[in-house]
Amino acid sequence: MSKGTIHNRDKFLSHIADRLGRERKTDVSRPDWEYQPQWAVYQEKTSDELCALFNENSEEKGTLVLETTMDQLAETVEYVMKTYGGSPMVATDDGRFAEFGLTDVFDENDVHIWDAELGERNIEKAKQANIGFLFSDVSLAESGTIAQFNDRNIARSVSLLPTTYAAIIPRSTIVPRMTQVTARIHKQVEEGENISPYINFITGPSNSADIEMNMVVGVHGPVKAVHIVILDA
Amino acid sequence: MAMKIGEKPFFDRVDDALDDTFMRQSMANAQDGLRGKKIAATEGDEAIGDWEDWRSAGEEIRRHTLENLDYYLEQLSENFAKRGGHVFFAETAEEANAYIQQVAKKKNAKNATKAKSMVTEEIGLNEALADVGCQVHETDLAEYILQAEEGDRPSHIVVPSLHKNKSQIRDTLKEKAGYSGTDQPEELTAFARSQLRDVFMNADIGITGCNFGVAETGSVSLVTNEGNANMVTSYPETQISVMGMERLVPTWEDLDVMVNLLSRSAVGQKITTYVTNVTPEVGPQSVDGPKDFHLVIVDGGRSKALGTEFQSALHCIRCAACVNVCPVYRHIGGHAYGSIYQGPIGAVLSPILGGYEEYGELPYASSLCAACTEACPVKIPLHEQLIRHRQIYVEEGYADKSEQAAMTAFGIGASTPSLFKIATKGAPTFAKPFVQEGSISNGPGPMKLWTKIREFPAPGKENFRKWFKEHKKGDSRNE
Amino acid sequence: MKISLFVTCLGELFYQEAAKDMVEVLERLGCEIDFPRGQICCGQPAYNSGYRKDAQKAAKQMISAFESSEYIVTPSGSCAGMFKEYPGLFQDDATWHEKAQKVADKTYEFTQFIVNVLGVEDLGAVYHAKATYHTSCHMMRLLKETESPFKLLNNVEGLELLPLENSYDCCGFGGTFAVKMVPISEQMVDEKVRHVEETGADVLITADGGCLMNIKGRIDRKGKPIAVKHIAQILNSRS
Repeated sequence: MSKGTIHNRDKFLSHIADRLGRERKTDVSRPDWEYQPQWAVYQEKTSDELCALFNENSEEKGTLVLETTMDQLAETVEYVMKTYGGSPMVATDDGRFAEFGLTDVFDENDVHIWDAELGERNIEKAKQANIGFLFSDVSLAESGTIAQFNDRNIARSVSLLPTTYAAIIPRSTIVPRMTQVTARIHKQVEEGENISPYINFITGPSNSADIEMNMVVGVHGPVKAVHIVILDA
Repeated sequence: MAMKIGEKPFFDRVDDALDDTFMRQSMANAQDGLRGKKIAATEGDEAIGDWEDWRSAGEEIRRHTLENLDYYLEQLSENFAKRGGHVFFAETAEEANAYIQQVAKKKNAKNATKAKSMVTEEIGLNEALADVGCQVHETDLAEYILQAEEGDRPSHIVVPSLHKNKSQIRDTLKEKAGYSGTDQPEELTAFARSQLRDVFMNADIGITGCNFGVAETGSVSLVTNEGNANMVTSYPETQISVMGMERLVPTWEDLDVMVNLLSRSAVGQKITTYVTNVTPEVGPQSVDGPKDFHLVIVDGGRSKALGTEFQSALHCIRCAACVNVCPVYRHIGGHAYGSIYQGPIGAVLSPILGGYEEYGELPYASSLCAACTEACPVKIPLHEQLIRHRQIYVEEGYADKSEQAAMTAFGIGASTPSLFKIATKGAPTFAKPFVQEGSISNGPGPMKLWTKIREFPAPGKENFRKWFKEHKKGDSRNE
Repeated sequence: MKISLFVTCLGELFYQEAAKDMVEVLERLGCEIDFPRGQICCGQPAYNSGYRKDAQKAAKQMISAFESSEYIVTPSGSCAGMFKEYPGLFQDDATWHEKAQKVADKTYEFTQFIVNVLGVEDLGAVYHAKATYHTSCHMMRLLKETESPFKLLNNVEGLELLPLENSYDCCGFGGTFAVKMVPISEQMVDEKVRHVEETGADVLITADGGCLMNIKGRIDRKGKPIAVKHIAQILNSRS
């Protein structure tokens, strides 16, 4: 990215201050909000309950949920490959696939691993792919949502372009709702860290109800979604 | 095309709308269908606790942000630029368009893709870019359909093509885009998907609106169900996000609350399928991200609301919950408002942004039933703002002279008991010539408008005050 | 309990039967009723049309009339709602603002007063009919009174209360809206009448004179065999 620029700011902001009937403000502290209902949601739920809610809410959005365990993960992934059209397939460039023992199954089935050095060719691969494999960084029980902190390696095209996205969801990533994710990002900011340029919350396959309010699944993003939940991870 | 829709006067637009049977049925169906879903996702969803607390939370965040708008815009722009983005503050639509034109020219851009955005509609960006040889392709399914129709305009801020039925859509796509399938929504959607895939990949510029800017990081947050915001922000080399200047939150924590309010209020979803958050990239570039990222922040008349009773209208998060419960919108649809912002919020915003000359009648297109105020997730007192608009309309002399005279007479009558006494006594006698079978079917003077469609009650023959006096005497006799 | 009757201009001019019924019901409950003679109209037509000054004139007249009352009770959710707007009309005038607030605080709609202040839900009324109830917008959304009318109606012997489709939608009255936006108002009231008809009810009950005038006006114009009654008329019925 080039060096940033800002145009016309002072006049614009001074006009706002004028309209608000005061001087420009240079220091404002965000109050402790009186109302914060978001923190109470699913507070009393156990990890089992949160997992069950995540699965239930995923299914409600038309996502296939497959529960599995570490020792059966490769088998489950292979099942997904067979069921959703197999090759060509892509996966994000994510060290967790190796950690979770999926290197062999990816190799054997010719899964293209995103490689930032290959540039645009990755996009072509993702476009043609039947399935895109990725990890959910945080998973929201309330809505069956996966959250991804994307970058040049954990590319967002993998969840976007293939016909099906298949997300691997270690149970430990399941939290009540978006609140826990945004709080984490906010904390990161306060600690002076740079946040990921693309933070995506994805809840099942893309859809639209623009034609006579009829729900149609599969618009610009994936047509199908699979959540592979690893119960012991 | 900008904010205004059509050239006809208000009542002609209303007549056109009332004649459009399909449109009216589809508005009613949409309202009835959305109602249950919204209730289930808001006050009906026990998991999220008390919906009223969420509304209060939303109001609190929005009020604080608007009260400190200059501060948070400064923070937003600073953080955006720090990561290599370009920020342009535009006081007017013209300034915004000129800047974007210049970016397009510099890139020699021929094609742009756009994810649904009301503010770009408001400033007429598509036309501005066409003027410099860059074609904008709408990618939201509804906007894609309207664009194919050439010149059709949004009738709903969330579902812009709500006024069109599937056979109209099929015919349009047949004629303009070479479609040859049926009118099944699945098939029509699949066609749009296939048509747009390459368009997404080959565009030079990706244009989005901005549901929320996040000040603490300089991020642009976009909510969609179709995934088009991801497509638009992933493949073109240049991204331009256009944001109404009030559309931001201080932090990610606040974004959480606002996205929840928006998703649930708009269509009764717990969360939209995609919540896409884009921030200029630092370090080595992704191949599926923009290399150049511009954020255009538009005033466009919004600042006129600051420091006035209308400031809270800027709290709006464009969920259309007020539109979806409005009984007037239900019958006249979106186009009759003559503005891309329709329904109650449209009737409040349009006169602020576009003036009373053009939009002064809209605040009267409400029965003040307050369903809008009740539905608003950030507690904008919409019906009160409609009354306030009417006051200004009257004070600034736009109101009809005969109405002004009638209201002056009302003021005198309603503060002079002796006059009122004469009126109540005289009413039965005065009305007598018009009364038939106990009511008035064709009244004189101002009553004529009433009796155009309904009976007017005949004044009661008895005098209530007299009855009450005698009734009380009876009481004391009994005691 | 001493109460002042705020009969409303529509009540005084057109719906005297309902007003009398209300007096009788309240007296039976032991209320001592007076009728402040200075009362005219709450000023809502002017207020809602944007004529703030003219509305202030009406409001001052009403505030003066009811200043010394203990409770103000009215057969209209909408007019009660207008009394609640009075403090807002005098934001720049501390004296009137205070007076307005006092008046607003002691104002109740008829059914609201019976249920919430008197704590009575069964009035011993008898009314044999199939009926449906129109919830008026201002009562529901400005006064936030949604339950009292139903509590009272559910205890009326012989009354079969049928649910009304889209009951939350406005009937299209809206004060001057009904004459300023005739074609829109017409569609709204037509839809309301259609839903009322679909219930199969013989009687439509409402607690607001404005809605009553509008819906009844349309029902009569179309010659539909449905009676429209104010809730006081039902609650005072004994047969």
